[in-house]
Amino acid sequence: MKKNELILSVRDLNIKFNLRGKILHAIRGIDLDVYHGEVLAIVGESGSGKSVFTKSFMGLLDSNGSITSGTIDYFGADDHQPIRLSELKKEKDWLKVRGHEIAMIMQDPMTSLNPLKTIGDQIMEAVELHQGLKGAAAREKTLEYLRDVGIADPEVRFKQYPHEFSGGMRQRVVIAIAVACNPQILICDEPTTALDVTIQAQILELLKEMRVKYNLTIILITHDLGVVANIADRVAVMYAGDIVEIGTSDEIYYDPRHPYTWALLSSMPQMGVKGEDLFNIQGTPPNLFTEIHGDAFAPRNPLALKIDFVKRPPYFDVSTTHRAKTWLLDPRAPKIEPPAAVRMLQEEGK
Amino acid sequence: MADEREVLVEVKNLEVTYGSGRKAYKAVKNANFTIYKGETFGLVGESGSGKTTIGRAIMRILPTSGGEVFYKGQKINGKISHALDKQVIKEIQMIFQDPQSSLNERAKVSYIVGEGLMNVRPDLSAAERDEKVRQALLDVGLLPEFASRFPHEFSGGQRQRIGIARALIVEPEFIIADEPISALDMSIRAQVLNLLRHLQKERGITYLFIAHDLSVMRYISDRIAVIHKGDIVELADAEELVTHAIHPYTRSLLSAIPMPSPRRERQKKLLVYDPSMHDYSTEAPQWRELRPRHWVLCSASEAEDWCRES
Repeated sequence: MKKNELILSVRDLNIKFNLRGKILHAIRGIDLDVYHGEVLAIVGESGSGKSVFTKSFMGLLDSNGSITSGTIDYFGADDHQPIRLSELKKEKDWLKVRGHEIAMIMQDPMTSLNPLKTIGDQIMEAVELHQGLKGAAAREKTLEYLRDVGIADPEVRFKQYPHEFSGGMRQRVVIAIAVACNPQILICDEPTTALDVTIQAQILELLKEMRVKYNLTIILITHDLGVVANIADRVAVMYAGDIVEIGTSDEIYYDPRHPYTWALLSSMPQMGVKGEDLFNIQGTPPNLFTEIHGDAFAPRNPLALKIDFVKRPPYFDVSTTHRAKTWLLDPRAPKIEPPAAVRMLQEEGK
Repeated sequence: MADEREVLVEVKNLEVTYGSGRKAYKAVKNANFTIYKGETFGLVGESGSGKTTIGRAIMRILPTSGGEVFYKGQKINGKISHALDKQVIKEIQMIFQDPQSSLNERAKVSYIVGEGLMNVRPDLSAAERDEKVRQALLDVGLLPEFASRFPHEFSGGQRQRIGIARALIVEPEFIIADEPISALDMSIRAQVLNLLRHLQKERGITYLFIAHDLSVMRYISDRIAVIHKGDIVELADAEELVTHAIHPYTRSLLSAIPMPSPRRERQKKLLVYDPSMHDYSTEAPQWRELRPRHWVLCSASEAEDWCRES
């Protein structure tokens, strides 16, 4: 597959969960295209649906949740046949996708490794299963992966158990396992949240290297806009089960358009001025058990327009790569100045 | 300047050891610092550096194995008198990192918040206590009706507010906040930081703020101490420390701060700290004031090199 070819396409996706008879509308009509070789960051608060959204690519939704409408198409298969992921039902079909086409790295490296098996065996399992290698060849390949993810003394480390590794090293092992599956798309769900700042920076560096070396498409999920500026080509901002703004990272950081993106950027302590209040978003995210009318962010948005409470905004194109769901972009909308922190970033982008 | 301020807490040669005999592990070695009344003193380090241990030792949750902790001039570690014990319990409170695990799931909010009062203010009647709980909840921006609910009914940010209300109700003078925002979402973080700052302004509370994130520290703290593997390696005013970091460990921490700016991020150089760079075999490191009110743990030759570099 060539770089920048369409690899994953989501259209009007809706996911609902049944919780003791009550219906939770977790994903509310998402459209998204992912291109081969890019790093796409999905940013949102807890409860915005970012994990549920990406889990649906791998058939990992909890049994009380299902895709109620919309499609997910995958174009990266070896035989160039598109796969409609949203219609896969059997576990057997999913096994062809999981790992081999799409692999996932979870947030907490403490819980995603098996404490009873050596690191080497856990990576080798993926090598044997997905690359058909056996015995010495598989072992050799495993050592190579260990070296690739920056683990010193791979021969010694091969025989060690997860508890003998630090948090950062464990996350490296998890990355090695995911990469050993030979996937096209690597979904990283908050891969650095449980780690120290210095280790976090190192893991992000490693992901960048891995992307080039193994020709990966990376979808990076995070709640921290600060983390992804370094690595992301494009950023999608999620709120209440929808992508409210998407663009290249320069566009999202230096020219954000959605009030929610403004709020997220301004509430970062990095943007704070000592002795002054940090910008903060009032209230809490909406309850997804009840139907949302208009713009989901409107009740928390001091700049909301009247129409925001009545009608859900469509996407407005800012450029060919940048679009946002906010009525502020309608030509009839009043001109509203973004907050000070955002204006600072705009200045920097010029 | 700062030296004219009133000293609230003084930590001298503090040492905390886990385990004993062959298994003994010194988590904190020889920590020294003073906290002035009304300031926010930040303690930054990575996991395993001993920052939480220091907080807990001052709080007296952990026994100290050496050194002294003074509060308002009185020694509070080791054996202390009953009256002083009472005073310290009332005046020093703690806010914990994880609001999911620091609240009693089986108790109502009214009990969680009011429990401390039963201990330090036994003279209050139940009705007076309820009134105080109401007020404490209002102070942290929660509704008084929440008093009759259970912790699981609240979001992470609300639970952290309950934890703050619990600490505030006994009217402490000194609060140890151990990573109070790292378990929270971005937008909620700002709310909690603002709340802590307002409380400080209104009541003159002194904070020891423990965190691993220098960007948060720079915003909230007046002075910052950087701790690495049980040693405090650098101590200065917040802006001074961030703009003129001297110790290589501090510099590596600074280089790792994620910035919300793709261009600056692309130019960023990650510094990795390697403790083996120090050669302390011939000369033990000492505290040196390399810039005004800016202390660094280093040997004489290092002091010279680092000063030249920066």
